[in-house]
Amino acid sequence: MIYTELAIGAGVALICGLDRIAALQIMISRPIVAAPLVAWLLGDVSVGLEIGLMVELLWQARLPVGAAIPPDDTQVSIAGTVLAISLGKVLGQTGLEYHLLCLLIAIPLGKFGQFFDRFARQYNGRKVSQSDLLLESGQFYAMEKAHRMGLCCFALAALGTYFVIICGGLLMIPILAPLLLPSITETSEWLKIALPLVGIAVILGTINVSRSLTLFGASFGMAFLLMWLV
Amino acid sequence: MPELGKLKLLHVWLRLLLLQGSWNFERLQGGGWFYALAPVLRVLYSKDEMRRIAREHVGYFNTHPYLAPTVAGAVIRMELERAAGKEPEIGIAEFKEMVAAPYAAVGDALFWGGLRPLAAGIALLLAAKGLVIAPIVFLLLFNALPFWFRIAGFLSGYELGLQSVEFLQRRRLPDLAIRTKETAVVLLGGVAAFMVFQLLDTKQSPLWLGFLTVPAVLLCGYLARRGISTLMLVLLSTGLILICSLFSADVAVWLP
Repeated sequence: MIYTELAIGAGVALICGLDRIAALQIMISRPIVAAPLVAWLLGDVSVGLEIGLMVELLWQARLPVGAAIPPDDTQVSIAGTVLAISLGKVLGQTGLEYHLLCLLIAIPLGKFGQFFDRFARQYNGRKVSQSDLLLESGQFYAMEKAHRMGLCCFALAALGTYFVIICGGLLMIPILAPLLLPSITETSEWLKIALPLVGIAVILGTINVSRSLTLFGASFGMAFLLMWLV
Repeated sequence: MPELGKLKLLHVWLRLLLLQGSWNFERLQGGGWFYALAPVLRVLYSKDEMRRIAREHVGYFNTHPYLAPTVAGAVIRMELERAAGKEPEIGIAEFKEMVAAPYAAVGDALFWGGLRPLAAGIALLLAAKGLVIAPIVFLLLFNALPFWFRIAGFLSGYELGLQSVEFLQRRRLPDLAIRTKETAVVLLGGVAAFMVFQLLDTKQSPLWLGFLTVPAVLLCGYLARRGISTLMLVLLSTGLILICSLFSADVAVWLP
């Protein structure tokens, strides 16, 4: 059963991974979409919403500009959701604290995504000279095929990241869950909002808007007071 | 001057959705650019001519993927003129070089820097309420503008050629980017307030504690600006919360 669910996760990881850079870019790769999508396929959409909510803002400020490669929040959210739902069934674990544990293990492993992504881009770079030879020999269809092969590189990079996070999670979570869950249980509600708040802080720290701190402070204060007083 | 059929234009437009398929550090979107234009070049040129023309299109190219169709439409128009024997006012390679970087800069600021956090903020509010439509709302809010630019930009580029630059100039995208970013910041303030209020209310903790969020967020923002990575901030804040929880019972005695 868990293998089927891991395979479903891999399918979503592949499609969303392509959307990230290589194809379409309609943002199904964003955690707020990808996590609920895989969770819906696995039968518990609320877990995906919870994880998408926590991860979405974390790396918003890292723009996929030019040669910059942001950490792979897509695979972090997908693999984190799969671990939360599928491994949770095996271990008999559920609830926010367990979902947080899955996520806190998936987030550092997401750094591997940058390695795989860089490898895919470097591999595509090595194909450039081959493409030039095809051009000189007039094999334009072969050049187009070479471009489509680049998509396969990005797909493999997405799957690679997904499997690294899944394997890391499968190895670590059964060991760490009994040790860490009691302390996370007490703080889970705080941790749940800490992650989006860190994301917001990073956006504020890096966004190029004059008076951004004033705007943020004013809107926070106004909204908070309204909710408090009304 | 020859005109292209609608199906051919659609073919190119669909291929532009795969512009970054072979992205690499040497030529960035160069391979995808040729891939997108190949169906048109094949119609306009013989095999030998195409070899010469293709060399202009496989080189370094980088712009924002949502604004690339505007460039592509204009380049197709210029290629049609060149194939008809009319030399364009400026070279195609020069035109690409001239517009690619500014389009990339304004596109990054508007779509990645402004629109994405704005749509995410709205979706997060819905997700925090447990509404499963949050992802759909995010997709609709985010994609409306990019798809408009992808379609209208491509068509205006094809119709206007070099003058398509005015199509984007009229939209005042840099101003729009700043407005969108400002709106995103205001919205994120509201999102943060909502989440903090909800938590304190549920926990029945003193609500004034919520105002401590602002300095905490500003401190994290300062650290991020100083180069501390998001991952490090996540680990620091998680560790801090876990440590604080050890002393929570002692601290609670002092709270009103």
